[in-house]
Amino acid sequence: MKKKATIRKAAPYIMVMPAVIFLIIFTFIPILYLFVLSFFKYNLISDMQFIGMDNYKNLFFVEAGFWVAARNTVIYTVSLVIFLTLFSLLLAVALEKSSLLNAFAQRLMFLPHLCATLTVAMIFQWLMNEEGMFNAVLGLFKLPGLRWLNSSDTALFSIIIIACWKDIGYYTIIMLSSLKAIPAEINEAAQLDNAGFLRRFFRITLPMVSPQLFFLLITITMGAFKVFDMVRILTEGGPGNSTDSIVYWIYKKAFTGTLNLGLASAASVVLMGVMMLMTVIYFNTINKKVHYQ
Amino acid sequence: MGEIQFKNICKKFGDVKVIEDLNLTIKDGEFTVLVGASGCGKTTLLRMIAGIGPATSGELFLDGQEVSDVPPGKRDIAMVFQNYAIYPTMSVKKNIEFGLINNKVPKEERERRIAEVADAVGLTPYLGRKPSELSGGQRQRVALARAMVKEPKVFLLDEPLSNLDAKLRVTMRSELIELHHRLGTTFVYVTHDQTEAMSMADTIVLMKDGRILQVASPVRMYSDPGQVYVAQFIGTPPMNILPVEDRYLGYRPEKVKFGEMKGTYCRKGRVLTREMLGSETLYKIELHAENAPEKQGTIMVKTEDYAHSIGEELWIRVEEDELYFFGKDEMRIKPGDGSMEAEEILERLRDYAGLHF
Amino acid sequence: MEKQSLSKYHSFSYGARRGAGRLLSVLGRLFLCLIFGFPFYWMVITSLKTKAESIQWPPTMWPRILSLDGYKTVMTAMDLTKYFKNSLFIIFWVIVIQLLVMIPAAYAFAKYEFRGKKIMFALVMMAYMTPTVVTFIPVYIMFAKIQPFGINLLNTLWPQILPFGANAFGIFLLRQSFMQIPEEVIESARMDNAGEISIMAHIMVPMSKATIVTVLLFSFINHWNAYFWPLVMCRTDEVKPLILAVADIKNVEEGIVWPTMMAGNTLVMLPIIILFVFASQKIIASMAYRGVK
Repeated sequence: MKKKATIRKAAPYIMVMPAVIFLIIFTFIPILYLFVLSFFKYNLISDMQFIGMDNYKNLFFVEAGFWVAARNTVIYTVSLVIFLTLFSLLLAVALEKSSLLNAFAQRLMFLPHLCATLTVAMIFQWLMNEEGMFNAVLGLFKLPGLRWLNSSDTALFSIIIIACWKDIGYYTIIMLSSLKAIPAEINEAAQLDNAGFLRRFFRITLPMVSPQLFFLLITITMGAFKVFDMVRILTEGGPGNSTDSIVYWIYKKAFTGTLNLGLASAASVVLMGVMMLMTVIYFNTINKKVHYQ
Repeated sequence: MGEIQFKNICKKFGDVKVIEDLNLTIKDGEFTVLVGASGCGKTTLLRMIAGIGPATSGELFLDGQEVSDVPPGKRDIAMVFQNYAIYPTMSVKKNIEFGLINNKVPKEERERRIAEVADAVGLTPYLGRKPSELSGGQRQRVALARAMVKEPKVFLLDEPLSNLDAKLRVTMRSELIELHHRLGTTFVYVTHDQTEAMSMADTIVLMKDGRILQVASPVRMYSDPGQVYVAQFIGTPPMNILPVEDRYLGYRPEKVKFGEMKGTYCRKGRVLTREMLGSETLYKIELHAENAPEKQGTIMVKTEDYAHSIGEELWIRVEEDELYFFGKDEMRIKPGDGSMEAEEILERLRDYAGLHF
Repeated sequence: MEKQSLSKYHSFSYGARRGAGRLLSVLGRLFLCLIFGFPFYWMVITSLKTKAESIQWPPTMWPRILSLDGYKTVMTAMDLTKYFKNSLFIIFWVIVIQLLVMIPAAYAFAKYEFRGKKIMFALVMMAYMTPTVVTFIPVYIMFAKIQPFGINLLNTLWPQILPFGANAFGIFLLRQSFMQIPEEVIESARMDNAGEISIMAHIMVPMSKATIVTVLLFSFINHWNAYFWPLVMCRTDEVKPLILAVADIKNVEEGIVWPTMMAGNTLVMLPIIILFVFASQKIIASMAYRGVK
């Protein structure tokens, strides 16, 4: 009897144990190890060498490349946040009515989100080829072709376009389901209250979808900060370092050249810190303006 | 002031016709109740008046003006929705104020009107609250206040009491009647509940399948139903209807008396069930009278007499002027209406009575 | 005053304005479909062109000669089947391990009270918010340095499987779903003398089938499309998943052969398309739920 009771008590621990072990091994120990690494000089082959804050000093005062990557990442993130939130909301409003065409458009828009970034990137590399479809279309309107991914002036901008194309459908679907959750009567009541379309949009719709807008803001920001695949596949940071991103910079430092894992770890710690800081800022400022039921 | 007129109104949802060629005038200043089973088109009519669900064809007049192309906000009407449709993101005060701001009512007047209305419905202490912090009854009052503050010429109410508990519903019912008297404006009220219709209306519009069956005052609706459906819709329990060959005989459960064997209509029956309701008792009685003109069946009886028990055999009786007759098409027929059909049934009932009693 | 204001609405013609607006909005939607449909069309069409036709200027909208050269190259010369098997192996084991870890953990978090529950659940949520781009360096070092029985783990597929053993998002979602199941059902099962494993297998799992399918769907799509993690963990050709093999089509010496590239990507996208055709409604609904919850 007593044995059975102990088993009962132990049961929940046994059940969560595998999950906790996996998380500790592959998430929490690595995070701690990352902090440790960031104070060492290490290249996988020779022994670890403690160098204090040197990695951080290098990162902030020597490695100009990191700051270029950081600047690019911020531009990328801000552009994505603005473009994706704005257009997902507008497209959701435009596609809200249920019709065959709208349902089809929604499906089609959503498809890129399920696609591999590789596929999307390759399709666009092809479309944005200097002798590709985009320039053919520009030529149709007697406009000069662009060099898209091959020029440092337009490469980052091109990557932003591709990223937006890939994910706008997903965010539109989220906004759509949020819009559809607004009871029709509320809009009707506002119509009876003589509120015009714009006023209804700003005073009724917008506050009602604010929780989802906030979700979008967080998801897009966090996703954009991690940008890697697109950069590595399309430009490898170039031309020059015009499309270098933080994660790609870390990857290069860790796995190419001198394998400077310590410096890469320090940059990872900074990235993690910035992302946490962003979350805290979001929750403490914008979240206060969000309406929760 | 607030007269509403429907002319040859049709409404289709896709290919489904819900209302076909409907004509109706709702009188200014009256409390009109549109009543009928769900899906009968009553809410559709109300939404037409509001302008949020326009008719497919036909004309709608507000005070003699055709308003089909007038947007909802410009019609000078207010509506209370079934689920209140309160703006969840705004405070109670903002909810009430929203329509006034949109209509560019100056600030001082807004404040005055809000204070007045909030006082009238007892919301003054709650003006700063969010709707999520209110009870069901309070939300109902916000919806009402939001409608009242606009001082519209027509009030539309779409089953406004159906989300309240039974006790609160009765209180709100009398408050609404009072409100109507005080304001004297046109009220159009939609409900599926005949009790609500009977207790509140000046005029009842009874609908079925997109058609209007009868327009009458509650008293007329009860005492002078135009057809079987109306007779059974109004009153609880519904009127007893018994077929007489291809026509029908009807009488209300509360008009049945127990006891004596006399008069045009008396039958022997057996008590099947008894429900004690308080001041009244409800009996279900199985009739059996051989060779009677009407087909025998079970009827309901509502009476103050609670002394009969289940299985008891007894006599029931209905006065001749409490009998109703309906023709083949289930439309009312009356003695003296020229068709002689009602007289025929009456004659056969009298013959049977003369033979047996 | 009211009468005047009412009559002005009769003056302009509603019908004509509506007609023009409708046409415009339909055109807008069609344009949207073009923007999101054309790149996929272009991918498939290019994959069916000959190399010469693919780089012809101006581009042809439909291949003059339908050619399967691209597909032949990827299937035979590059032997994609090998990498396809790697991908399937990874996904199979990821899903199996995730199920075994996730279900008991979610069950314990949903239906048990035990000391440390809050802390452990907080760990799960923290892990959910920790991006892999932060942990990849230490995890890589772990796999490189720890060699059980002398096996270099980096020569196996396990570094691409094990780190995803505990699906934090899945545990969270499944816990929500388990919490919806009434306590009475579990209690009556216990009165019927069912053990905890039997309760999970016969009550919890069947009643949360939809959520489990959703989680697995996400896992499948994520790991099928994954680029970053395999890139980090792949040090030999033997352990390459399909995505990396297709990415390598780019790195040939004679420059990119677009039909081959697009053929590879069409194949990568095929399972996604099939999934989407059969379950787009479900996929969209569960993705939207992720945002609205």
